[in-house]
Amino acid sequence: MACNVMEKPRAGVINPIFTCQPAGAQFASIGIKDCIGIVHGGQGCVMFVRLIFSQHFKESFELASSSVHEEGAVFGALRRVEEGVDVLLMRYPHVKVIPIITTCSTEIIGDDIDGLVIKLNEGLLKEKYSDREVYLVPIHSPSFVGSMISGYDSAVKDIVKYFATKEEPNGKVNLFTGWVNPGDVTALKHLLKEMDIDATVLFEIEEFDSPLMPDGQHVSHGETTIEDLQSTANATASIALNRYEGGKAAQYLEQEFNVPATLGPTPIGIRNTDSFLQTLKQITGKPISPSLVKERGIAVDALTDLAHMFLAEKKVAIYGNPDLVIGLAQFCIDLEMKPVLLLLGDDNPFYVDDPRIKELKENVDWDMDIVTNADLWVMEDRIKNTGLELDLILGHSKGRFSSIDHKIPMVRVGFPTYDRAGMFRHPVVGYAGATWLAEEMANALFTDMEYKGNREWSLNVW
Amino acid sequence: MAYHEFDCSTCIPERKKHAVLKGPEETLADALPAGYLSTIPGSISERGCAYCGAKHVIGTPMKDVIHISHGPVGCTYDTWQTKRYISDNDNFQLKYTFATDMKEKHVIFGAEKLLKQNILEAFKAFPNIKRMSIYQTCASALIGDDISAIAQEVMEELPDVDIFVCNSPGFRGPSQSGGHHTICIAWLNDKVGTVEPKITSDYVINYVGEYNIQGDQEVMQDYFKRMGIQVLSTFTGNGSYDDLRAMHRAHLNVLECARSSEYLCNELRVRYGIPRLDIDGFGFEPLSASLRKVGLFFGIEDRAEEIIREETARWKPELDWYKERLHGKKVCLWPGGSKLWHWAHVIHEEMGVEVVSVYTKFGHQGDMEKGISRAEEGALAIDDPNELESLEAMYKLKPDCIFTGKRPGEFAKKIRVPYLNAHGYHNGPWKGFEGWVRFARDIYNAIYSPVHQLAMVDISKDEIPTDRGFVTRRMLSDKNLGEEVRNAPGLRQYTGKFDLIPDLRNKTAKDYPYLRQDAPEELEQQETA
Repeated sequence: MACNVMEKPRAGVINPIFTCQPAGAQFASIGIKDCIGIVHGGQGCVMFVRLIFSQHFKESFELASSSVHEEGAVFGALRRVEEGVDVLLMRYPHVKVIPIITTCSTEIIGDDIDGLVIKLNEGLLKEKYSDREVYLVPIHSPSFVGSMISGYDSAVKDIVKYFATKEEPNGKVNLFTGWVNPGDVTALKHLLKEMDIDATVLFEIEEFDSPLMPDGQHVSHGETTIEDLQSTANATASIALNRYEGGKAAQYLEQEFNVPATLGPTPIGIRNTDSFLQTLKQITGKPISPSLVKERGIAVDALTDLAHMFLAEKKVAIYGNPDLVIGLAQFCIDLEMKPVLLLLGDDNPFYVDDPRIKELKENVDWDMDIVTNADLWVMEDRIKNTGLELDLILGHSKGRFSSIDHKIPMVRVGFPTYDRAGMFRHPVVGYAGATWLAEEMANALFTDMEYKGNREWSLNVW
Repeated sequence: MAYHEFDCSTCIPERKKHAVLKGPEETLADALPAGYLSTIPGSISERGCAYCGAKHVIGTPMKDVIHISHGPVGCTYDTWQTKRYISDNDNFQLKYTFATDMKEKHVIFGAEKLLKQNILEAFKAFPNIKRMSIYQTCASALIGDDISAIAQEVMEELPDVDIFVCNSPGFRGPSQSGGHHTICIAWLNDKVGTVEPKITSDYVINYVGEYNIQGDQEVMQDYFKRMGIQVLSTFTGNGSYDDLRAMHRAHLNVLECARSSEYLCNELRVRYGIPRLDIDGFGFEPLSASLRKVGLFFGIEDRAEEIIREETARWKPELDWYKERLHGKKVCLWPGGSKLWHWAHVIHEEMGVEVVSVYTKFGHQGDMEKGISRAEEGALAIDDPNELESLEAMYKLKPDCIFTGKRPGEFAKKIRVPYLNAHGYHNGPWKGFEGWVRFARDIYNAIYSPVHQLAMVDISKDEIPTDRGFVTRRMLSDKNLGEEVRNAPGLRQYTGKFDLIPDLRNKTAKDYPYLRQDAPEELEQQETA
């Protein structure tokens, strides 16, 4: 009875948990206002990423491609980026920021996008767009390194590094949210507001849940401004809620501008939200407000109704973004559940030394496997072939058939969650997130009890 | 015909050659949009890549196959679970996808060993699946891995498996169309003719260019079976790998999506002398004509006529119910390739809508020729559309509905234009007689959605009626219809089931005698002659 950390026992991937780095860079790109990224590679690298964003958010986001065809692949394709920047600037007069995002193909052929940016800054931008404020941000995201997680982490760092400019202290906190949903940003901003803390939220993606308005505004985009990014160097402190999604940027600001960085915890569950508020209190000296005490009380009340009566002992498998998976596992343990399988979908060597993973290894008193570089087949193979019994799966929509075919209830969480309505609207962080998660899990179990005729009568009274 | 210049594209003059307005008294000879040309970088085109054209569009609908992409994980992940090509073997091809997960060290030192390990692992994980397709990606093409050599090596080691290799990296050509071509020819060169099928009918076809979106293939296969025709293989929706290896034994290639797979039919004609017959499963008249043509080819027109009679009697009254209510509605027909000409005239004829624009993401000029000639006068035809042009077109044309992809549908929503998914359908299948009624029903539901009506209201400016608790679709659609239409006897709304496919799968086809089975030599002689 112990917690073991292991690598997936195969070389290949059957049903991947993550996509590749450029998708992460593209997710960072759409969080910035007046920004359209150009992905330097084949067209599919953009088309499908835009599709999956639209599957998840039910919105369309703008991203361009350098449309590398055969000629570019053979003779070099920097000319395609030059043309792409020009076309984009001509046709989108509001655009100020253009991240230039590489892919596997253009990294392999060795296109020098950093050199190109210098060339464009000296040439095209001076000659043709001298009256425009334009920032070309090179972002290296070869698909054969890391995953969408490291792609996001590096891109956030590259963007912050590009813009951060030392000026007078601004008295704000940099809050790197990691790869979250609009509902999470709303919940986090609510906590900050209740503590009267002024923060730069990276990225401001609440508007990803964009309205259908009478004036026909048609594009969903983030609201993080150039000024927000520039002033990150002047903050009191940085908090990167997700160690692996924004951590690099926070560390960069610490090293370069002495902005102290706190990594984590991902505020999933009561305990982690408490820690987050404690960190905020320490950084700003501001007290935790009575309104939050009450809010916490509502959440704890809701959890009390569920934990020991319904959730205790339930065996759960969790997959997805690493900080999300770890946060959910911690929360499930507080709810008396038993996470038995955690899947972290890339080969990041630092997972083994993550203090939270070490804490699990030291304290978990049931069989729990944490598999790194995992794919979804790790879970399904165990269900199908080695007798893994699960009461619940927590993860994103790509694993839906593991749940459907094996009749295991599942709560959709993370990215992408296209097979359930409106998941991006609900937070998993903060006290509100804790309540929502626990109730979603309970309701999934209840529905399953009713479909299977499994102690469904017990819900008559509770 | 005159070229149309979009306001948003005056700064990229080469775009002018890509759009045409179909004017009165003008012909295709006056102007035809350029097609299948290099994409303009930064234009926010909607095109995909040649990898997805090969693997995602054509390869993966094959149902009993491990589909593995040799490259970093993203190509596999991104194209997985984004289409609705179902199969009658529990959707194996939708549920499982495989990537070799190429990393930096493989890029430097080569990934052939990794590939081999992957192949063995995949067959081990799914011991009942003995067939595999391997798809090259940008990364594996650029590092020059010899995928075919590895596949050959494995086939020698594991004699019960068979592996198909498709070398169609993402950068191959301006759009996904390059991938369609590559995979068709690769399949023909490497696999056709390597299996001898069991012939069970006097009338044997390959059904080509049909991807079983929401069950289209199964609907059409039902008609063929009812005519006593053996569908030897379907390329590729709901198709079986080994059946497709035996394509050379069909008497006729029945071609649906000519854009994606006419290459295959043309070559089957050249190499094996199998004639190509283009058909159309969309729309009562084109479908009826198609069944007649197939019947005529084999001399079994009566069997086709029986189906047409039966199906038309069952479903026409329902189609007409919708036609009365869709009459004059403006639609933009903005699919990927072939649907622009599959649908343009027939949605006008049979549903009464006006096609005010056609576009194609990856079509060639031939597709435009057919599409434009079938669209209404005044229609705007756009090749390789981009986001701003699509918006400008919608503002100008004010369509009541557009048929396009999922993501463009999202920005159409924002300017309050309802969309239907032209690629994956809303509630299909849309092929077949019943399917066509389902399409009409879906259009009706989109255009007359009470929610759509609410989206048009600005509560800060408009007069808001306070006496309405709800509105039904019919209160909207029947408002201006005369009594004789509103309650026309014999017309009715769609009465089919939510899912019509299970019944088709459980059906036993009428048994026609196989007359020539005792004379295989004669058959052989005729074929070679």
